[in-house]
Amino acid sequence: MRKKLLFISIVLLAAVLLSGCTGAIAWPGLAATDETAYLANTNTVYAIDLKTGRELWSFSGVSSGFNLFNTNPSLFVTTPVITEDGLVIILDSSNKHVMYAVDPNDINTEEKTPNVEWQFTEAGGLWIAPPLIVGNRLFAPNSDGKVYVLDLQDGKTEKQAIEVIQLSDSNEEPGRLWAQPVSDGERIFVTSLDHSVFAIDIESYKILWDQDLGGAIPGGAALGSDGNLYVGSLAKQLERFDPATGDHTPVLDTNGWIWGTPIADGDNLYFSDIEGYFYSYNTKEQKLNWEPVKPDSAITASPLLLDDRILLATESGDIFSVDAEGRIVTWYDVSDGKAYTTPIFAGGHVLVAYLESDYYLVALDEEGHQAWTFSGN
Amino acid sequence: MKNTNIQTQAQAQRPELPQGFSRETLKTVAVIAILVLAFTNFSEVINFLVNVLIIIYQYVGESFGIAIILLTILIRLVTWPLNAQQMKGAKAMQEFQSDKEWLAIQKKYEKNAEKKNQEMMRLYRERGINPFGSCLPTLIQFPILFALIPSITYAIGSTPLSILKLSSSLYPFQDVAALVPLNSKFLGFDLGLPERTLILGLSIPVLALTVALTTYVQTKLTMPAAANPNDQSAATMKMMSIYMPIMLYFFSVNYASGLSVYFVASNILSIVQYALMGKVNWRNLLPGGQKK
Repeated sequence: MRKKLLFISIVLLAAVLLSGCTGAIAWPGLAATDETAYLANTNTVYAIDLKTGRELWSFSGVSSGFNLFNTNPSLFVTTPVITEDGLVIILDSSNKHVMYAVDPNDINTEEKTPNVEWQFTEAGGLWIAPPLIVGNRLFAPNSDGKVYVLDLQDGKTEKQAIEVIQLSDSNEEPGRLWAQPVSDGERIFVTSLDHSVFAIDIESYKILWDQDLGGAIPGGAALGSDGNLYVGSLAKQLERFDPATGDHTPVLDTNGWIWGTPIADGDNLYFSDIEGYFYSYNTKEQKLNWEPVKPDSAITASPLLLDDRILLATESGDIFSVDAEGRIVTWYDVSDGKAYTTPIFAGGHVLVAYLESDYYLVALDEEGHQAWTFSGN
Repeated sequence: MKNTNIQTQAQAQRPELPQGFSRETLKTVAVIAILVLAFTNFSEVINFLVNVLIIIYQYVGESFGIAIILLTILIRLVTWPLNAQQMKGAKAMQEFQSDKEWLAIQKKYEKNAEKKNQEMMRLYRERGINPFGSCLPTLIQFPILFALIPSITYAIGSTPLSILKLSSSLYPFQDVAALVPLNSKFLGFDLGLPERTLILGLSIPVLALTVALTTYVQTKLTMPAAANPNDQSAATMKMMSIYMPIMLYFFSVNYASGLSVYFVASNILSIVQYALMGKVNWRNLLPGGQKK
């Protein structure tokens, strides 16, 4: 009898342990204001004080219904988005498909978790892309191939989409939308894993054009100072688009897949590929500023542009600094972890989110010295 | 007479093993060596399986469900001799446990475990039985099983991290950029994600429950009738039929549902294999079937 009890206990314990073993589907999402960092890391979103590195609150979703051994936990990997009125939009990337808006100024002091102002549950696929806010509207691309448009000011606690823009015809295998859209004020541009770039009229929600790039597009588009749209894809090409017509031309062949969204700064466009090369492309002169540099490993993150340097986060976890001439140095050397997430600069710190590391978040000063680390508790 | 001569010649040609170093020991060492080799090059095993899956996927009209089922069949065929050997070993062990001398040793040295073990080992040697004969073929399949889990997750590539891992797993001749996005849908399930189906407002893990059910049925059907229902191995087998479905349920409920397809296909194929070899014990499915 005692043996049986022991056996049952071991099985139940193993079951409980296994139920916590939800594999990561993506790297952490990171956003910040001047005072607070918001880190979407696996099963929890943390609000972290940028001065001290201490947790202000955490959010693990709203439980719904019976859930044996918590076998269907929420999953947070999408970059949180902060609205003009200070709400934090959090997307649950589990198969619950919920979008929450939480108020960081309305905290349940007992549970140290923010109250949910509203939620949206109509989406049919995974949330991977952060939504785009334009005025009072939120454009949220989903892995079901649709863009959901929400009215942020309708006062509803259970949001309903004011428009659902279907970008993919196939119900069997929809074109997954994984990147945050970009807007030029008249249109929004959405990239899809089904190789397409779409332009949508921001008022009528009609698809103005869509173009095939010949490779999946996990990253977003960038608007250059020349008024053109630049998009990289797994076809190992950077393409330039006329935002009005969708006419496009390949402008640069790359060594590997372009994953992260290119970043425009004046006439320059900065982006990387997963072979680990970093490119600086002059959109005016239509040529590379210097030969691509290769820090050490794959780069999925977009570069972080600072006043005097560009920072690159690589798969190895190390952070590299590149100057205006393309000279590269190791800026922060890490012992473990992978830096797939785009680093951000906030509150005087460079913030780097890590996957497979003891530290979820590391804050670095302007010299690349560690100011504090955050590991969840 | 001629055959006997050939056998004798063949035996004479076999290299002499050091004293106390039996062929069974050699087999055990070989299995351990293969396991060490597989686990030290585990990522290569994963990459190999990912590539096989992707090749099958491209040849079956880009359906991951069918690709997983075909890979399961392929693995079953490759490991068929090992499974057959495991069945043979299990049967030999079971028959051995009803042997008069074995039973006498159990009784005589009931209170002296050390002596009992010594005597049992002597008897194993005398009868030419390898006590690990039934588990060695199973052990050798472990690297494949363990590698299948990440392989299926990477190959389906329905999340950013899995596509990234897929890109580094594929051999140079595979054009993954043209393949992405991979079709992860099968019978309405997204095989790249843990599955939940909304039934009457409840979120039900249908595939994981199917895994548990088929595992239970498979364990029951392939469990040999115990010579002595009260002996330790019979009790262990009974436990197995309970905890394996539970463990696999929790495993399936948390990981990509492509794994569930593998488990279900594997269970069904296992039953088919046992049935083809005439080893399925249908009575075990009936209440009290073991006693008959």
